[in-house]
Amino acid sequence: MYGLEAINAANGWAMAFTGAIIVFSGLVVLSFVISRLNKVLSFWENLISNFKKNHQAKQTDELQDEDNSVVPHLIPSDIKEAARYYSHLIEDLDQPFELTRLYEISQKKGFPHPHITISNFRQANILVPAGDGLFTWSQP
Amino acid sequence: MELFIQFLTNTGYYLADFRNIIMLFVGFIFIYLGTAKKYEPLLLIPIGFGMLVGNVPFFKGFGLGIYESNSVLHYLYFGVTTGLYPSIVFLGLGAMTDFSSLLARPKLMLLGAAAQMGIFFTLISALALGFLPKEAGSIAIIGGADGPTSIFLTAKLAPHLIGPVAIAAYSYMALIPVIQPPIMRLLTTRKERVIHMSEPREVSKKELVIFPVVGMVICCFLAPASIPLLGTFFFGNFMKEGGATERLVKTARTSIIDIATIFLGFTVGASTQGDVFLTGNSIKIFCLGAIAFSIATASGVIFAKIMNLFLKDKINPLLGAAGVSAVPGSAREVHLVAQQEDPTNYLLMHAMACNSSGVIGSAICAGILWSFLV
Repeated sequence: MYGLEAINAANGWAMAFTGAIIVFSGLVVLSFVISRLNKVLSFWENLISNFKKNHQAKQTDELQDEDNSVVPHLIPSDIKEAARYYSHLIEDLDQPFELTRLYEISQKKGFPHPHITISNFRQANILVPAGDGLFTWSQP
Repeated sequence: MELFIQFLTNTGYYLADFRNIIMLFVGFIFIYLGTAKKYEPLLLIPIGFGMLVGNVPFFKGFGLGIYESNSVLHYLYFGVTTGLYPSIVFLGLGAMTDFSSLLARPKLMLLGAAAQMGIFFTLISALALGFLPKEAGSIAIIGGADGPTSIFLTAKLAPHLIGPVAIAAYSYMALIPVIQPPIMRLLTTRKERVIHMSEPREVSKKELVIFPVVGMVICCFLAPASIPLLGTFFFGNFMKEGGATERLVKTARTSIIDIATIFLGFTVGASTQGDVFLTGNSIKIFCLGAIAFSIATASGVIFAKIMNLFLKDKINPLLGAAGVSAVPGSAREVHLVAQQEDPTNYLLMHAMACNSSGVIGSAICAGILWSFLV
């Protein structure tokens, strides 16, 4: 068989047309996908970086809040409240300890008026002498 | 004396006929073109020498010829008949291909798609000339201008045509500098040929890494029969872009592809024995191959002109000719033709984008034809 008869017998027109459509469609789809790839990747990267930024900001806030709870701007007039702030510092000291150590640490941490505060603690028997110039902490 | 005469009757000199001589002559031409003229030497030299070896006349039945089951050449030919060598060549091709220019301008992929129309036009022409459907499918894939793809599909559909199809495909790939430029000039005006392409955008490493995975899924899901070609192609490319397997990439794009190319070319050449190759069908195949190439080139150029009707940022229509899969020959020709019109017009990287798209397109076409005709 030759010519159009052969083409029709072998379903040539349908094969050629369908094949052309399939390969064209496939490459159109691939072309579309890769044209969007850049935008999808940018969107994803922005999402990740925003998430990281928010997470970091949250962590910083938490740390700051923690710091704020440890370092007061003003020592409360209530001695027990004041002792609560200083108890965090005492955790870092081995008891009994020297008052100068406590003074140094409180000053380093930025506690306001450490000298007066420590003196008040002594008068309130929160700081109890343990002999040899050392003191222990008696949490009220 | 009798022994001597018996020996003489077993020599190639005694057994030679005109078909061997013709094919030896063709082999000499291939070797000359590859060595002296440097026309696609990596293809023409193995094929040409294979032709010489395959057309040495011999006494059949002693396991010497490539078609005899217990011969060394037959064992090497195994990689052709099973589609192994084309698959390995595609692995190396993927490891060498840079898709950044294609990713920067995805619409150039459509030119690769358009250039595959030569395949389907040739399919119809081959059927009209009396070839069986599977034979027509094997001949049609010549229009994809991809040697390994042509050999792969022919090995599956019409193994008896591997010789003429492969020789036709590689011959026309080597003749791209002769075939394509006249068609490009005929179908474009000077004003179109001097269109400068705008600078492509920067492509990120992530895009280059993701593309082979996405491309493999989309293309292989569409045409699973193209898995042996596109699966290895995108695998090679992923290894290249991933950066974690530098040693494997280096091996894939050097030693592995070279080994496959040597054995592929040599055994394909050796398969063109005169008594098998020199038939009326081979001449028809050669003529159809020329038509396929020409239609493929023309359809790419014409489609680019059609795209320009709708685009603000015009495409140089010469790039359509690079949509055929002949990497990097057709990209080089497109660039040279553009340079002849305007020496400041650098189209090479844009043409390579179309070329890479053509490789993918022709492999998909092979998968589609295989699934239609199996």
